[in-house]
Amino acid sequence: MLRFVVRRLLLLVPILLGLSILVFLWIRALPAGPAQSLLGERATPETIAQIEEQYGLDRPLHIQYWRYLKTVAQGDLGTTIRTRRPVTEEVKERFPATIELAMAALLFATLFGIPLGFVAAKRYGTWIDHSSLVASLIGISIPIFFLAILLKYVFAVQLGWLPTVGRISVLIDLEHPTNFYTLDALIALDFVAFWDVIKHLILPAIALGSIPLAVTARITRAAVLDVQNEDYVRTARAKGLPPRVVDIRHIFRNALLPISTIIGLQTGLLLSGAVLTETVFAFPGMGTWLVEAIRQRDYPVLQGGILFVSFVFVIVNLIVDISYALINPRIRVS
Amino acid sequence: MGRVSLRRILLLLATALLVLGAAGCGGGDDGGGGGEGGTLVFAGAADPVVIDGALVSDGESIRVITQIFETLINLKPGTTELAPGLATEWEVSPDALTYTFTLREGVKFHDGTDFNAEAVCFNFDRWYNFTGPLQSPSASYYYSAFFGGFKNNESEDLSDPLYESCTAENPTTAVIKLTRPSASLLGALVQQAFSIASPKALEEFQADEGTLDEEVGFRPTGTFGTEHPIGTGPFEFVSWTREDRLVLKRFEDYWGEKAKLDELIIRPIADNAARLQALQADEIQGYDLVEPQDIQTIEGDENLKILDRPAFNVAYVGINQAKPPMDKLEVRQAVAHGLDRQAVVDNFYGGRGVVAEQMMPPEVEGYADSVTKWPHDPAKAKQLLQQAGLTLPVEIEFWYPSDVSRPYMPNPKNNFEAFAASLNKSGFKVVPKTAPWDPDYLGRVDEGNAGHLHLIGWTGDFADADNFIGTFFQDFNPQFGFRDQELFKLLDDAEVESDRQARIDLYKQANQRIMETLPAVPYAHTKPALAFRQDVEGFVPSPTTNELFSTVTIGEQ
Amino acid sequence: MSVAQVEAREVQLEAPSGLWSDAWRRLKHNPAAIVGFALVGIFLSIAIFAPWIAPEDPRSGDLSRLGGACCPGPSADYWFGLDQQGRDVFSRIVYGARYSLLIGIVSVSVGLSVGLVFGSIAGYFGGWIDSIIMRMTDIMLSVPGLLLAIGIVAALGQGLWQIMVAVGVTQIPIFTRLLRGSILATREADYVLAARSVGVPRRLILSAHILPNSISPVIVQGTLALATAIIDVAALGFLGLGPQDPATPEWGTMLTDTTRYLQTAPHLALIPGVAIVISVLGFNLIGDGLREALDPRFRGRG
Repeated sequence: MLRFVVRRLLLLVPILLGLSILVFLWIRALPAGPAQSLLGERATPETIAQIEEQYGLDRPLHIQYWRYLKTVAQGDLGTTIRTRRPVTEEVKERFPATIELAMAALLFATLFGIPLGFVAAKRYGTWIDHSSLVASLIGISIPIFFLAILLKYVFAVQLGWLPTVGRISVLIDLEHPTNFYTLDALIALDFVAFWDVIKHLILPAIALGSIPLAVTARITRAAVLDVQNEDYVRTARAKGLPPRVVDIRHIFRNALLPISTIIGLQTGLLLSGAVLTETVFAFPGMGTWLVEAIRQRDYPVLQGGILFVSFVFVIVNLIVDISYALINPRIRVS
Repeated sequence: MGRVSLRRILLLLATALLVLGAAGCGGGDDGGGGGEGGTLVFAGAADPVVIDGALVSDGESIRVITQIFETLINLKPGTTELAPGLATEWEVSPDALTYTFTLREGVKFHDGTDFNAEAVCFNFDRWYNFTGPLQSPSASYYYSAFFGGFKNNESEDLSDPLYESCTAENPTTAVIKLTRPSASLLGALVQQAFSIASPKALEEFQADEGTLDEEVGFRPTGTFGTEHPIGTGPFEFVSWTREDRLVLKRFEDYWGEKAKLDELIIRPIADNAARLQALQADEIQGYDLVEPQDIQTIEGDENLKILDRPAFNVAYVGINQAKPPMDKLEVRQAVAHGLDRQAVVDNFYGGRGVVAEQMMPPEVEGYADSVTKWPHDPAKAKQLLQQAGLTLPVEIEFWYPSDVSRPYMPNPKNNFEAFAASLNKSGFKVVPKTAPWDPDYLGRVDEGNAGHLHLIGWTGDFADADNFIGTFFQDFNPQFGFRDQELFKLLDDAEVESDRQARIDLYKQANQRIMETLPAVPYAHTKPALAFRQDVEGFVPSPTTNELFSTVTIGEQ
Repeated sequence: MSVAQVEAREVQLEAPSGLWSDAWRRLKHNPAAIVGFALVGIFLSIAIFAPWIAPEDPRSGDLSRLGGACCPGPSADYWFGLDQQGRDVFSRIVYGARYSLLIGIVSVSVGLSVGLVFGSIAGYFGGWIDSIIMRMTDIMLSVPGLLLAIGIVAALGQGLWQIMVAVGVTQIPIFTRLLRGSILATREADYVLAARSVGVPRRLILSAHILPNSISPVIVQGTLALATAIIDVAALGFLGLGPQDPATPEWGTMLTDTTRYLQTAPHLALIPGVAIVISVLGFNLIGDGLREALDPRFRGRG
């Protein structure tokens, strides 16, 4: 087991290095050139010379890369052009917002996806099953941003039940020690704020979680169906165990395996989808940050943001793989 | 992962919901009783750029600056008449070269320092002594528009400075001397660009530090305009979280009638529909830049109301003659014939716009009695282009701002698309270009980097023709890229002419020349609307869109 | 990509060749797939016959039809209503189908062709070539899809071709892995070993035996990739990164800026969105049906 974990960790290194190379080359492929891209096209010769000195742009490529790697490893992702703040500082503000949204979406997807898949499997072949399949296919076919617009239209414009913009109402004054607004509200024991934050999360979470919901439902259904027909289940039933017990003790537990891996696999989708959902709901997370950056050609933000998000993504995948291996002994041996 | 029973999950959910339900019912915000106090949240369309009057020209920054800083001379609320501000009296010498201001006593800056003649002169000298990037039009737009050049002009395009000196004869008397006579100094001084800031803060927080971005403009690096904007106004700065909110609170030691509100929060909400929804949900109590299609919705809602500002602006298509073929008159004439201005005004202004025939509104003195007209005529436009010796279609870059809504241009994209379509039918081939309003678009326009044509406009700051066409065309302006000495002279003469009738005539002539030589094509004057909750009272809409919130009250919550 | 994903994929690939007639029979009896074919058929006809179906030029509008306010909704004259520039939305939707078709084909072609090349090389030659290619796909996959596309657009600039290429590039790693896995599976098959022992040159084995038999998962993935491409390009268009000319009748770009009209002219946002959903659904249904038809695991259940 330990060998497996170590092997996977070692695999991490070339991937992260490769990622940094990719981003490094990307900066140099930008139309304005590396110095100007990072400074916001400032033409003052002094500042350009400064940047060239700092990044060693006159030196050979591999030395530049080494310098770049050093700065990134020290946690310096550059300075934004728009607000002249360190990229890492803005990441600290924006990233928790997206994480909160992603977790809310994941919660929505699993809370509704698993039972739906389970019921569909149990009612295999009936209209319930067929319609759940169709529904999940439709779910995958709706672009996230369109679903967001629809939700906005129905629940905010027409019905007025939920807010459509931002993370929290302007009137509420909350300290942000963690920048996870739900946690901040709980820490401050401010339940009005807490409820307000939740209200702001509902529609974006549904929009973002729609595809994970569809996928989770389908995988759950497939997994339950598989397990259901296994010998040990039939044996348990033949022994006379009540169906509910069979369900929970055998079917559910073994179906949990593929289900939990699917949850891990949704991360990429959630991170991508967050960009679109946040834009529609003006949710101040990484998504809107990166979209504004590309519109305003704020390349330090793009570079730091993409690097950071990919880094997180890789780590999450690693954790998923390790936990999958923990649950599934077959993998460790292979 | 052990046994996670469905039942347990449901139980947890139910409990959570109960708790939330209880929490949601309890508690409320600090509801002020009717009248005094309370917090008002107001939404603009974009974040301010920087809270330093000398360095901005955008409405959002100016809105905030108006609450924090004050000028020597004010406008009577809702009008364009002059009234005492930080100066209670003023005297103009017969040769219009010396202005003596008697300053108000007992005024303090928000940091406790005294307002006096020294502070006034410190500010004037500060602007006069701008060097380097601060001299660029994207930094000190208003200053150079009125005063021309600086102490040490670093560019040939800056004219000789109008300002000579400021003397603090005694703490309550400031004397400003000019190098040439000017008839419009008093009117100009109501602009927020000439508001008085605390000298101590200006120095301590390095208000003059910054860099110049060739394409995009001036970027300040000190913290004066972002964390310590210290003035004498009825509101003082509390905090600014960019893209989120800017918080002001009542200044308790204000010299005049204190603000009625406890707190004023200004939020940028770029999405127009979101502004409306926020108002409907009482998340904000007022907002600016109401979209034409929403006016009906708001008027039909009994909790909301529309307030109209008197029309005092002009929307125009700017032409950069430094970019050929725009230097040819026929080409500019073709543009004027090619634009379908009536259609744009009819469809995109919610019934609150009229087609503009001159580069200033009819209400301002100096509006010419008749000028050359340019009806929409695609055939004529093509003819003119051919006359100019060009092969059709003539390719041009036409810029419009994205992510923004202006009082004179609620939806730039709509205007752009309609204009581009009509130009494409008139022998042009429009290449669409866009950039975010701030800092890119504004910077580009100011520096002359916005293609052949660009969409923009202007809301007047005071009722004087100089504030419109003087600002645009009195000197070489990179935005328009031309040198028309005859026009420059007309405007220079008008500025110093002390005889009112003669002055009006000069401006009329200038307007006629403008509409003949077409440095720009005006297309609309509008009445920009504001929307408020019904219980917000005391707001006085101003034609200049600079309104004070100190008289505003919110009814019972 | 994580181990789990690979495992999931590999299970699918164990289908031996020669099940085409079997698959077709099953597909014909799958109601969802039939609906899919119908939808895609409609989509293709609309795209191909657009100039005959659309009553107007999608790019030119007539402002006088707006009557001073935005925007008239669906009516007898204008089936889908008019947009802010007085253009007929129905015509724009019809021509938009052409753009979506073009988008799907170009993006998938980019992803497929490059992925095919790298995947076959990796799968057939194995060894360190394989490792390098796999690591490169790992790296590309470590950036979440849309963000990778955004990064590419930042380097290429904004515009329709750029976003098509960007989305195509994001699909390369998926096809690479698919081909590689497929080839790995068939490489060890008996008939291939037989061919090798007889001395058939490697290149011939690859093109004559391995590739044709690895096709079925590619077809499935290709169909699904088409659906994803349409959505992803629409997403980039929606973010404003697509065609810089707002008159372009591309469905995603038509959705930009429509949220401000939700109260007064919701059809501007709803109709292009529904168009996207229906087309994409068609491709997803077919792809899904194909996957079920070709997958041996489901055979027992009929």
